[in-house]
Amino acid sequence: MAAFLLRRLLQSIVLLGIVSIIGFTVLNLIPGGPLAQYALDPGMTEADRLRIASQMGLDRPLYVQYLEWASRMLQGDWGTSYRDGNAVLTVIARHVPATLLLMGSSTVIAVGVGTWIGIRGATHRNSALDYMSTVGAMIALSIPTFWFGLIGIYVFSLRLGWLPSGNMYTIGDGSVLNMLHHLIMPSVVLALVHIAIWSRFMRSATLDAISQEFVKTARAKGVPERRVVMKHVVGNALLPMISLAGVQVPSLLTGALVTETVFSWPGMGRLFLDSLSYSDYPVVMGLLMFSAILTIVANFIADVTVALVDPRIRLA
Amino acid sequence: MTAMTASLPPQTRWWQSRVVRRFTRNWLALLGLAMITLLTLACIFGPALLPYDSLYVDLRARFSAPLTGDHYLGTDPLGRDIAARLLMAGRISLMVGFFAMLLATLLGTLVGVIAGYSGGWVNAVLMRTVDGFLSFPTIFLLLALAVALQPTPVMITLIIALTGWMEVARIVEAEVRSLKEREFVMAGRMLGLSRTHIMFREILPNAMGPIIVAATLTVARAILLEAYVSFLGFGIQPPLPSWGNMLNGAQQYLGTAPWLAIIPGAAITIAVTSFNFIGDGLRDALDVRNDTL
Amino acid sequence: MTKDLKTQLSRRHALGMMGAGAAALFTPNLLGRPAFAQTPPDSPTGRVIVGLSQEPTVFNPLMPKIEVDDNVHFSIFDALFRIDATGEIVPNLATEVPTLENGGISEDGLEWRVRLREDVKWHDGEPFTAEDVKFTLELIVDPDFRAWRTSGHDLVRDITVVSPTEISWRMEEAFAPYLSFLTETFIVPEHILAAAENPNEAPFNQKPIGTGAFKWGERTAGDNLTLVANPDYHGDGPYIEELIFRYIPDMTVLFTQFQSGSIDVVGRSYITQDNYEAAQALPDRQVDLVPAPSVESIYLNLERPQFQDPAVRQALYHALDRASIIDVLYYGLPKATETFMPPQSMYYHDGLPSQEFNLDRAREILDEAGWMPGSDGVREKDGVRLEFTNSTTTGAHLREQTQQFVQQTFAEIGVRMNIENMPAAVMWGDHWVLSQFDTVMVGITYLIAADPDVTNRFHTDAIAAQGGNGSNTGQYSNPEVDALLEKGARTFDPEERKAIYREAQEIIRGELPFLPLFSYTQVYGRKAGLEGFVPNTNTRSETWNAASWYWS
Repeated sequence: MAAFLLRRLLQSIVLLGIVSIIGFTVLNLIPGGPLAQYALDPGMTEADRLRIASQMGLDRPLYVQYLEWASRMLQGDWGTSYRDGNAVLTVIARHVPATLLLMGSSTVIAVGVGTWIGIRGATHRNSALDYMSTVGAMIALSIPTFWFGLIGIYVFSLRLGWLPSGNMYTIGDGSVLNMLHHLIMPSVVLALVHIAIWSRFMRSATLDAISQEFVKTARAKGVPERRVVMKHVVGNALLPMISLAGVQVPSLLTGALVTETVFSWPGMGRLFLDSLSYSDYPVVMGLLMFSAILTIVANFIADVTVALVDPRIRLA
Repeated sequence: MTAMTASLPPQTRWWQSRVVRRFTRNWLALLGLAMITLLTLACIFGPALLPYDSLYVDLRARFSAPLTGDHYLGTDPLGRDIAARLLMAGRISLMVGFFAMLLATLLGTLVGVIAGYSGGWVNAVLMRTVDGFLSFPTIFLLLALAVALQPTPVMITLIIALTGWMEVARIVEAEVRSLKEREFVMAGRMLGLSRTHIMFREILPNAMGPIIVAATLTVARAILLEAYVSFLGFGIQPPLPSWGNMLNGAQQYLGTAPWLAIIPGAAITIAVTSFNFIGDGLRDALDVRNDTL
Repeated sequence: MTKDLKTQLSRRHALGMMGAGAAALFTPNLLGRPAFAQTPPDSPTGRVIVGLSQEPTVFNPLMPKIEVDDNVHFSIFDALFRIDATGEIVPNLATEVPTLENGGISEDGLEWRVRLREDVKWHDGEPFTAEDVKFTLELIVDPDFRAWRTSGHDLVRDITVVSPTEISWRMEEAFAPYLSFLTETFIVPEHILAAAENPNEAPFNQKPIGTGAFKWGERTAGDNLTLVANPDYHGDGPYIEELIFRYIPDMTVLFTQFQSGSIDVVGRSYITQDNYEAAQALPDRQVDLVPAPSVESIYLNLERPQFQDPAVRQALYHALDRASIIDVLYYGLPKATETFMPPQSMYYHDGLPSQEFNLDRAREILDEAGWMPGSDGVREKDGVRLEFTNSTTTGAHLREQTQQFVQQTFAEIGVRMNIENMPAAVMWGDHWVLSQFDTVMVGITYLIAADPDVTNRFHTDAIAAQGGNGSNTGQYSNPEVDALLEKGARTFDPEERKAIYREAQEIIRGELPFLPLFSYTQVYGRKAGLEGFVPNTNTRSETWNAASWYWS
């Protein structure tokens, strides 16, 4: 186990190194840079801009900037935001809760609804529901998330006026209810694709399990169908479910970025876009690294959990 | 060259006919195929048949709702015909999707075959790079690249391909790794065939099934990604229409001209759904294990 | 601290008159309303939520910042002077505005002397003195400090604290615009920042302490910023308890929140033009049209061979269908203009010849100048084709629409304009600053506060691409204009300056270094019960006088 952990750790560090080099190179290909936002300022001169660039260290060669960034990073210093002068980790930490809330609630929706549809489809194979859910899942996987969000805003905010069109809460109303009200639309929009994925997954997992001998045996013993399914199928599918949840993290993050944009949700996706358009490279790099770490950790936890729960899987 | 190569054609024909039979039994896949064919034909010939040019600005006709006069799908804020723009945009979006798929599949296959066949450190380096690309959300990388480079259709195609080859590489690598221990590869090696020959002439044709399926799904993915990037304003730039950039700015007119948002989004959904239907049908027909979904 | 009720009332009255005057200038529909019928409450009550489409993130007012940050700075800090809605400079931390007449500025414009208020306290209770002013002016030019603007400040020498309430300095050369610059130079506390190890990263920058009407409250990054009333404010007000800035990046969401009442004031970037009608129809909402200082134009890079021929610039100008652009694309809200000077400025030249949209005339000019259509219909002369790119920021929808509209009209006179838009960070980088563009569709604010000095935009020495120091990105160069601008910056008398800048405007209109489209009008919106709100286009802030706001 220890050897496995060590190996995964080393691999992850190499991986992060590669990610950081890709990210840093790409970002610095962008002409313009962080001073572009002052280009139209009537009172700032070219001398002002050159002075600020040199004070910020932007006039040094790229590899020097990368090495400095990397060595600080290794010491746990993620740098300072160009835009608001705070430590990058502080800036990210402020935006993480909103994104986690969104990702969490939509995962709950996706797993709940997806599991129900999947099991239902498998136990009632070739029923109308099974057929519709298969086709529905394919369509759900094909709808652009942001477009679904726009249609949602059009119908539920502009036409019906039932749900707010953006933000996380109304100022002056800090109640949980208010936040839930704001949370409904973004989390459903983000969940759609994942409902499709989960339902497809649960359907095939259930089908696999139903065909297995022990389920047949249990049924033969007269255990009610419902209990058989719940106990054996869900129990059996739990492990792959955990890995699937881990694998879903990057796609959830991508979805969150787009959803946050449509709904003015103050999370990491919104921060990424803002930082990108202000060329706040330290924050952009920080977010790239953060999401890479999140992905790696999620995969890692998924692997370890699976290994711990199921001793049959040898950690290779 | 050898008897084995010579025996391939009849084998292929049998393989094909069985696949075709299974594919045609899947009516969703057929529907997808039909829709894509229709859409492609419409995008190729449609613009010539419509009364308006996709770039013709007519401010007097701005914000016409669908079905006013000859504007079957209405007009945009500059009074341009949305039907004409939609079809021109379709050309671009479908081309971007198709070529991004082609490039991504080529690159992914190449990396996958080499990594899978070579093993050892070559495999380690290549597959860790694949992992590296996979460990941050595609859209982050995609946006950063789109900002860095001039967002022409060719560039967007390249960028999407560059962020979309890893899945194919993984699939091919796994497939090749399992194939390289099989008898026919051993035989090839004993006959003294070159590495390249074995990799691309012997192993690759046998891995075509999963590659074709992955390629179809990559088209769907590429069309979606183009839409994402263009919607966020970093993709293909107007006046050139693409399905994604027709949606960029539509949010502003959601209250007054909802069709600006509804129509291009529907086109994207139809195209992507069709490709997914086809991919699904192919997967069943080619007997590829369901491991991408 | 108790305020003398009488002075307070009279000051408020004066401010009310001023506000009403300004409102009358801008918004005829305000006239019917008794603007200041009610009196503000005795103690700060209520809360105002201002919706902003950009997020304020810079809280040290001397560091590089964008417009939206000014909203916070105007509320938390004071400058020596303030510029009011009519463009007049009035005292703020100073007791009077130095002029040649009152002796505050010497005859040669070199010696400056400013008297300060003695009743001002920092938010932490420390008294404000001349030392703070000296510290601020010195910090700005400190080479280690990441200061925002330094022009003007770099001319200041020999700062002397005469007494806690009086300060003097000498200017390296006479520079009239400096008075205006000082209205945007907020004074920071010496007792806090002088003690900081590195003022660039001081904790102060995240939790500023000023002398202004509002104190720092709480910030939820990415969402909102709350300021609270400063009960010890030396000036008028504040009458509201909390001033909240809410960041709502999407303009549609911003507007729907204004509709639903979640925000009280629509701040920068205001209500979009296409929503003006819908906004007017809203009950209990006050919607005003306010002229903005920025001028939209097609900026030409004069070093490109096509644009060196004045005939081409004239022809292109004739080919602009400005009426359609303004009336249709911009919903008739902006005003056509012929100059860089905003119409509300006292230096605006209203007698310039009006542009005429005439495609035949445009073709004629090009024919006469020898630009003849080539095989593909694009005109050319001596191997130079009338083909160029036009760029703007991606996602600026109205600008993108205008580009595509202009592209079509230009094509009709044999000019090919290719659209090549870029993300802001790319667009306004070297591409703009070092004049790597052909043409750009851009809205530019030329004036700093209300000072007419435009040396930075039109002087030959301001061409950064040619080694100059400034923002003359169109690379315009005219010795006559250079001389006028130099003279204007040395002249303090407003009447004399008027003549100088009128002449400069005439020359520039004649030469057309850029093609003016219109001068912007913004759609302001606020809830009807909010009194004391006065738009001030001489500042970059909607909340410049939030101290005087109150709910009726």
